[in-house]
Amino acid sequence: MKLLSKISYYHFWLSAIVLGITGCMLFFFLRNEISKEIEEQLELQTNMVAEEIHMGKNVAFPLVNITEGNESLMKLPKVFKDTLIYDKVQKVTEGYYYFSESRKINGKPYRIMVMTTYIGWDNYSKTIIYIFLSIAALLIILGTLVNYFISRRIWKPFLINLKRMQGYSVSSKEELELTLTDVKEFKEMNKVLIDLAARGKKEYTALKEFTENASHEIQTPLSILKTRLESISQQPLTVDLARLLNDAKQATIRLSKVNKGLLLLAKLENNAFTDVQWVSLQDVLKRNLDLMEDLFEHKGLHVEQLIQNKLVYASSFLMEILVSNLLTNALSYATAKAKIIITLSEQTLEISNEGEPLSFPVSKLFTRFGKGAAGNKGNGLGLSIVKQICKINNWQVNYHYNNSMHHFSITF
Amino acid sequence: MKVLFVEDEPVLLEEMETYFNSHDCICEQAVTFGQAEQKLRDYMYDVVVLDITLPDGNGIDLIEDIRKSHLETGILILSAKDSLQDKLNGLNLGADDYLTKPFYLEELNARVNAIYRRKTLKGAEQIMFDDFTMHPASKSFFFKGNEVSLTRKEYDMLIYFVINKNRVVSKASIVEHLWGDHFDQSDNFDTVYVHMKNLRKKLCNISGKDYIKTVYGMGYKFTY
Repeated sequence: MKLLSKISYYHFWLSAIVLGITGCMLFFFLRNEISKEIEEQLELQTNMVAEEIHMGKNVAFPLVNITEGNESLMKLPKVFKDTLIYDKVQKVTEGYYYFSESRKINGKPYRIMVMTTYIGWDNYSKTIIYIFLSIAALLIILGTLVNYFISRRIWKPFLINLKRMQGYSVSSKEELELTLTDVKEFKEMNKVLIDLAARGKKEYTALKEFTENASHEIQTPLSILKTRLESISQQPLTVDLARLLNDAKQATIRLSKVNKGLLLLAKLENNAFTDVQWVSLQDVLKRNLDLMEDLFEHKGLHVEQLIQNKLVYASSFLMEILVSNLLTNALSYATAKAKIIITLSEQTLEISNEGEPLSFPVSKLFTRFGKGAAGNKGNGLGLSIVKQICKINNWQVNYHYNNSMHHFSITF
Repeated sequence: MKVLFVEDEPVLLEEMETYFNSHDCICEQAVTFGQAEQKLRDYMYDVVVLDITLPDGNGIDLIEDIRKSHLETGILILSAKDSLQDKLNGLNLGADDYLTKPFYLEELNARVNAIYRRKTLKGAEQIMFDDFTMHPASKSFFFKGNEVSLTRKEYDMLIYFVINKNRVVSKASIVEHLWGDHFDQSDNFDTVYVHMKNLRKKLCNISGKDYIKTVYGMGYKFTY
């Protein structure tokens, strides 16, 4: 829920409750007050009527009813009540108050009843409800409008800064710049964000330097290992020693490949590839297929190509890696004499190969070192590199298995 | 061929020097940026093998100097960083090739030779062994003047062998040379074997001599 809607929502309920309570209070207080006033007024009127009678005048007012009677009349109590009287003009029965009192005037007992109309409480309450509802509506509508316009102004720097934060990457060279604001909380937030960005950048740079240094520090000893092992290979060796040496060589190769792969992944995550240009995927595919032709042939693989021209705006270096990783994957996991189908169209690149179903969950396919025992063939990074390359290009990479074929497809 | 190795790691330096010396190269070494600057000012080299990370400077900065004074000198960048940016910068500044550590000495030798052929010999060089002649520029191969047909991979393999003659070349190194380094080697050893077998048979049929020796468990050795 938007902050504005949230505030309006609470604002609405607060207004509704406050206005409801005050509305009821108003109604009851008003009714009480008015009843008292009317009672006083009717009592006064009764007194005045009694005085008229006392002075011997003939009293004949409308809505006044005087009854002369015997002593028993005096026992009746004072009554203040409401009643209904038929209005001949409007042809409706209307509510009236009446006040009735027994008085002894000039020694004779009288019962005097005085009446006055009351505007129906129904109408009062309706009017009050209407007025209060309008107040509530106005408060909410105007409140929200005012809120909206003020917020737009107050929140504007916040929203601009939010956008900037969204587009900000610690790997970019620019510093984070935020729009100034006069709201204290936002000022504080800006300060915190700028601090955070600076800290993130510092840590990122440190990490990057570390990665580079680590890579350098690992690659150089690896180079020494590799060249020294090759030098040992030049010596006459016994079969046993040759086997031991071979294992050591294989391990060095694997270590250097894993190191390279991890470095590449780190760089992909930082999106450090700037050699973006229009690349013909068709050319990249053809070149790699050409290079691998003998490898496919040797394994007796039948390669079917359905390749159209397709240009993508991406790093040419990464496109080479993407295509060669997918092709190597197909080559490694295809069963002997299997079929490999390569399809490139305007929308998708699909590389499929016949092979045994996966021996592990699909969810592990694109994760680093996710293949466990079955993955001894590769360095366990090839497909996660594919995924990462697709991610930075906003492409979708999918895998499915049917008709005993593995399908890897990239949707541009 | 006169080669300058600019590298701060003594073991690598020693290995490179020993190997290149055994292939009739005159080798010199520089272990610091300053030393390299000095040597490049005073002498001419056919090829400079340049490590980027030096204790007192960035090897990349040497490229421009070399280019200014000696246009003919070939430059091969040797880097531990495998950074695309370094590679692009280096090649833009005029380096001829780029090799990432860890590397095979045979590969370095093949690349340095390729640069040398291209730059100094302007591609006119012939590689000869016994009665065979290779023309790397046109990728043609002759025995006593008659052209011998080889597949492209066989040709690449043969050059690699000849350039690294008398050396046990591991299968992994051949895989990397033929298909690049993002391939998994063990899978392709069989293919290497097939190419080697075909090549050996072709050479043997023509000349009656077996040039390629299998060194059990290690690789192959080409001798003439």
